[in-house]
Amino acid sequence: MVTGEKKKVINRLKSMHPLRAKVNETYLKSIEAINAGKPAAWAMLNFYYGDPIMKAMDVEVVYPENYGAVAAALGVAQQYLEQAYADGFPTHLCGYSLAGIGYTSKMMREFKGEVPPESPFGGMPKPLFLLSSSAICDARYKWFQALGRYMDVPVWQLESSSPGVNELLIEGASKAMVNMGVKHLKDFVVFLEGILGKKMDWARLEETVDLMLEINRVWYEVNDLRQAKPCPMHSRDFWSAMPAALFMAGDLKDSLQLYRNMYQEVKDRVNDHIGAIPEEKYRLLFAELPPWHSLGFFDKLAERGWNFVIESFGYHPPIPLDLSRISDPLERITRFNLQFFVGYAEDARQKNVPGRSFAYPYIKFATEWKCDGAMLHPLISCRSASTHLPYVANTLIENLKVPSLTIEGDIVDLRLFNPEDALAKAEPFEETMEHYKRVRKQEGFDW
Amino acid sequence: MSDKGMSKAQDIYLNRSQRAKELKAAGKKIIGYPCVYVPVEMLTALDLVPYRTYGDIKEPVTETDRALPTSFCSIMRTCLDCALKGKDDFLDGMVTAHSCDPQEKTSRVWESYAAYPYFQYIDMPTTVRPEAIEYFKSQLNDFRKTLEAFTGKKLIADKLKSAIEAHNQQRTLVQQLYQLTKPAPPLISGTELVQVVKALMSLPVAEGNELLSQVIDEVKSRTDGPKKKAARLLIWSSTLGDTGIMQLFESKANVVMDETCGGIRAYRGSVKPTADPLDGLADYYLKEITCARTFRQADLGEIRKDYAKDIKSRFGYLKGIVKEWKINGAVLLLVRYCDPFAFEMPSLKDYLDSIGIPSTYIEYDYNLGALAPLKTRAEAFIETIS
Repeated sequence: MVTGEKKKVINRLKSMHPLRAKVNETYLKSIEAINAGKPAAWAMLNFYYGDPIMKAMDVEVVYPENYGAVAAALGVAQQYLEQAYADGFPTHLCGYSLAGIGYTSKMMREFKGEVPPESPFGGMPKPLFLLSSSAICDARYKWFQALGRYMDVPVWQLESSSPGVNELLIEGASKAMVNMGVKHLKDFVVFLEGILGKKMDWARLEETVDLMLEINRVWYEVNDLRQAKPCPMHSRDFWSAMPAALFMAGDLKDSLQLYRNMYQEVKDRVNDHIGAIPEEKYRLLFAELPPWHSLGFFDKLAERGWNFVIESFGYHPPIPLDLSRISDPLERITRFNLQFFVGYAEDARQKNVPGRSFAYPYIKFATEWKCDGAMLHPLISCRSASTHLPYVANTLIENLKVPSLTIEGDIVDLRLFNPEDALAKAEPFEETMEHYKRVRKQEGFDW
Repeated sequence: MSDKGMSKAQDIYLNRSQRAKELKAAGKKIIGYPCVYVPVEMLTALDLVPYRTYGDIKEPVTETDRALPTSFCSIMRTCLDCALKGKDDFLDGMVTAHSCDPQEKTSRVWESYAAYPYFQYIDMPTTVRPEAIEYFKSQLNDFRKTLEAFTGKKLIADKLKSAIEAHNQQRTLVQQLYQLTKPAPPLISGTELVQVVKALMSLPVAEGNELLSQVIDEVKSRTDGPKKKAARLLIWSSTLGDTGIMQLFESKANVVMDETCGGIRAYRGSVKPTADPLDGLADYYLKEITCARTFRQADLGEIRKDYAKDIKSRFGYLKGIVKEWKINGAVLLLVRYCDPFAFEMPSLKDYLDSIGIPSTYIEYDYNLGALAPLKTRAEAFIETIS
């Protein structure tokens, strides 16, 4: 093979780079601000629920889930894991939580509340409060509750509903969820006002909510454009660009402009029939968190003509919702957050897929993005992101004749993902995808 | 011991579904539930028979592998496995609750793969805040609506109040039963308690109450109770539904309290009478059951944290139990992959240390084959505290 600089196979979006840079820059600025005395929270990813309120109250937010991923990718997580084990936490707990617990233990006990010196990206300085979440999994609130062993920092547990598909459609169920959310957020504002010693700026909150909704609407439309053949935007660009919307990073007006730029670039590619890879042979859906530490793996697959065209709904913006007639920003926040969790429910019920929103969106995505296969990435220490995957695989093959390839890995323990082994499965899976392409054709599917 | 109540409980324990199947043959509808957070009073009030599903610790899990990962709550895995193998086919319906993430996720798969005539999932908030209780009440109201549609009957408040009274009576009787472990030696063993509680969760409430009354009378006057052992243990766990687990400890110690969902946890408090009975139920189920899944704080919405106060608010109820039952050691027993309990272990140990109770942490998979290797660990702990 000719040596020298190898051309990247995935044609990355130019507009992705400033979005990605903004996320990194925002994090470093946050750490600087916290070190300079600005109030800070450690928060769980909360799906547009607590974030807009904290942003309007000028709280700097760091996300220990992300920090766990960064620590793992940079190879420093092991010491935190070992600290957590030594403190008595079982080894099979969520890898992010163990990294966060071990980090906190070291910070508070070994370094007297100062950031451990080896911490990447300036570490996570001690927060003023913790924002846990009842959504998605138990670790996301039990973890922060467990941190009470190390630091006397109050926890606000963000309460949200988690209805089933059929149960959601019982008369009055949605209203009850909205009522709880709005009342809960009102109390959260009171908590913040108490701990920060200042009042909420409601005008600022309204502006924040407006921007949040608009950013996510544009971001949703960017991803809709990816239905085009060839798909103009690879999953790698999605993962690079998503944090700015998902975590409401930095200045929201800047973010909105950057997502608009991305929309234009993707639209131009669609108009010009430019794909994200040179020759799109297979269109794939990717389910759950990617192997952050081995993203180069996707370049190898791109060389084989695998284009990853859509990902887990859990990181995608909610289906746009017209909330213009609702004046209370807390209600708008609540409804938008609920839309993330239940936005697909009515469709799921009509198509009789009771697997709630965690399974149904994959059916929708595979159909509308015309996927030939799904790559499922169960994570040994993130059960919440893995539990549904066998069900998803069964549902895709039974309903759509779309096969799945399961590649096991982990969010923190890098040894559990073997890219070579995964690549060895590519060729046989191509044969499977070809087979099911024929089956779909025989059965009248349009892709 | 000529204790017909106790031997009847043991028979039911060994052949749990028999009575449910008889009742079904007689025209009753049997509704399964895998967790103590399901308000069984609402089933009883509509003349439905609640039947707690535990899965089967003796049965290798095979069918579930097509639906759930292996590194997943082994209790939910065995429950689903039994359903997929048709072992629960006598059930007319299933009610699950969002008491933990595995149950929520399993519910969706369960609903899809097991075609019960009736299936209901009850969403549960994690906090005990007023808005959370109000929301939980709305979920119970939705549960009422679907039950009414399923049975074709109205759930009348008076009937629900009567059902609450009957279940409260059962709670009182179970509390009385656990009083009988206070003497040294206890009058009833931990193994027998598991048998009785599991039998109760297989019967209509009235039959259960009758059984309990008989058991209590017999145990009070028995002369062949457990022998006095060197240690008096508390077992703290999630679900404990098999005597094999209890026997690991009872060869060398008296287990005098099992703070588990197969033990007293579902029976410690009682539902308060309220004008709208759903208020009493919402309050009891969300606030009173001491499962690790509930997020508790020393003060709601506190802006200052004090760890000593925090763990007291979460585990303080154990202090009185330790004192009254003269407990001298605690076993923190974790079913592998049970996150709510797993996160709790170091803090619970901190609390027990603070009240001077030695404890040990033991983890196992919920299957019989996993128990044997634990015996040595159990015995080593008992020796250290004896």
